[in-house]
Amino acid sequence: MMNPIADTLVVATTIEALRSVYDPELGIDVVALGLIYDIDVDGDDITIDMTLTTPGCPVSEQLPAEVSQAASAALPDAEVEVRIVWDPPWTPDRMSAEPYDEFGNPTFLLPGTQVGVPRRHASS
Amino acid sequence: MSARPPMMGNVPPASVPIAFFGAAAVGLVGFGMAAWLAADKIVASPIYPGTLSAVHVAMLAFLTVGVLGALHQFAPVIGQRPLRSVAVARVSCVGIVVTAWLLPTGFAHGPEDLVPLGGVIGATTVVLIGWNLSGPLGRGATGLPVWGLRCSVTFLIATVTFGVVYAFNRQTAWFPLLPHRVLAHAHLGLLGWLGLTYVSVAEKLWPMFLLSHRPSDRSGHVGVWSLAAGVTVLTPGLLFGQPAVAWPGGVLVGVGVIAHITSLATYIRHRRRPLEVLHAFVLASAGFLLTAGVLAALAGALDVTTVARTRLVSAEVMALTAWLGLAIVGHVHKIVPFIGYQVLRADGVATGPGGRPLLFSDLTSKRPAVASLVCGTTGGAAMVIGILTTSSATVATGAVLLSVTGVITTLNLVAGPRRVRRHARRAVAPLPTNSTTTTTVGAST
Repeated sequence: MMNPIADTLVVATTIEALRSVYDPELGIDVVALGLIYDIDVDGDDITIDMTLTTPGCPVSEQLPAEVSQAASAALPDAEVEVRIVWDPPWTPDRMSAEPYDEFGNPTFLLPGTQVGVPRRHASS
Repeated sequence: MSARPPMMGNVPPASVPIAFFGAAAVGLVGFGMAAWLAADKIVASPIYPGTLSAVHVAMLAFLTVGVLGALHQFAPVIGQRPLRSVAVARVSCVGIVVTAWLLPTGFAHGPEDLVPLGGVIGATTVVLIGWNLSGPLGRGATGLPVWGLRCSVTFLIATVTFGVVYAFNRQTAWFPLLPHRVLAHAHLGLLGWLGLTYVSVAEKLWPMFLLSHRPSDRSGHVGVWSLAAGVTVLTPGLLFGQPAVAWPGGVLVGVGVIAHITSLATYIRHRRRPLEVLHAFVLASAGFLLTAGVLAALAGALDVTTVARTRLVSAEVMALTAWLGLAIVGHVHKIVPFIGYQVLRADGVATGPGGRPLLFSDLTSKRPAVASLVCGTTGGAAMVIGILTTSSATVATGAVLLSVTGVITTLNLVAGPRRVRRHARRAVAPLPTNSTTTTTVGAST
């Protein structure tokens, strides 16, 4: 039976967990970077649709595995599946305007770079 | 420290590319030493045994081994399929390194049998490499870099086939090894194999490193395809001494080079990140490519003596070597850290020295990287200038600087992961407790 409140909590927990997964080149978490496109909850099954900054990027295998591991660690009873999607392709405009430098990272963007909001989870 | 993420399926174990890169570093140091020892001969003749030896250390022990390391790492990522065999990759590494040192040794001081032996081992190794890379680059894989790499691996096989024929020809004297035939071999290897690999892989790496998305990829496509087509035409033109064929090939190569530089410029223009040391390597490297293009055009177009033309062409070959060499040295400052990153994460290391999440940039230091850039650029430029001005002292100075570049780069890339591991061990080390400081005062009284 669907439970929208429980599903929303699972999504929120998943997003929070994914904030601990960093793109090691950019030093930004995958949520702020806008790589997480969708999180679908169906009972104990969680399907995460994510993308990468470019197809064939060096962490194209590492990052999805870390996403899966972070979500599984936060929700041990869930079956987590991570799917890589390329449509729509990622662009820097998908990055959120959140502060990325909580760990003291230098500002990495050029002045004047547009930042946007990840497609679905801006309000989460 | 955190829980260990699983190691990935497609990429080979880190020891595979790292073995290639380590051997390439030895090759760079060895090239500098070989060129230093043969400096007076390099400025005198491009086919003197010492010169031939130094050139082959550069082409094989440094550039080819380094590029093969990158290919064994990248082809599975780009093609999204693993190598056919990790064991064969390890054998290939041993085979190409043995070839890379047997041939120059045979050229330099013999015995002559080392040359055909190196040729046979090299040919066998390249067949293995082609078979192994056909896994990730085979049917099903798509995209410009994949097509570029398919062509470049084909050119590798062709280059080695040339080399084997030339190696046996030294004893059998089937045909005279005229300068234009040597040039065909050199340009096939430098532009078709090494150059096309770099140009193809750059189209994948630059958008990532610059966080750059362009409205059009046309210049990248023109760069890859013009270079591939140009080398296909230029090589037989040079081989058979037919200027009417070589010139159109050269023009096509020129179009490819300009498109490649244009592609770099557009990536830089659309970048979302500030430029960093890597990009200085790439720009300096591109400067050598343009220099090589100008020297080649002058050698082909000017009505000069054979000696002067030989000097121009030798300088062009050195400029191409510096183009590729600087590109490799620059990119290993990115590639080796992300290989090291995966190993560290698999070992449970999740944070860098500052306590923040582990980043690629934690695995190298900027100052040594800048020192490598300065030494490499100055060294390459000194060798080009030294050849053009027939100054053996300038060539020798440049050669030493190239060796120093290899040493600094290696130390920098080795020190980074060790520093992170040290920090990680310290971060989880248990605090000393009172029990460890208990003394035996009573017993001593």
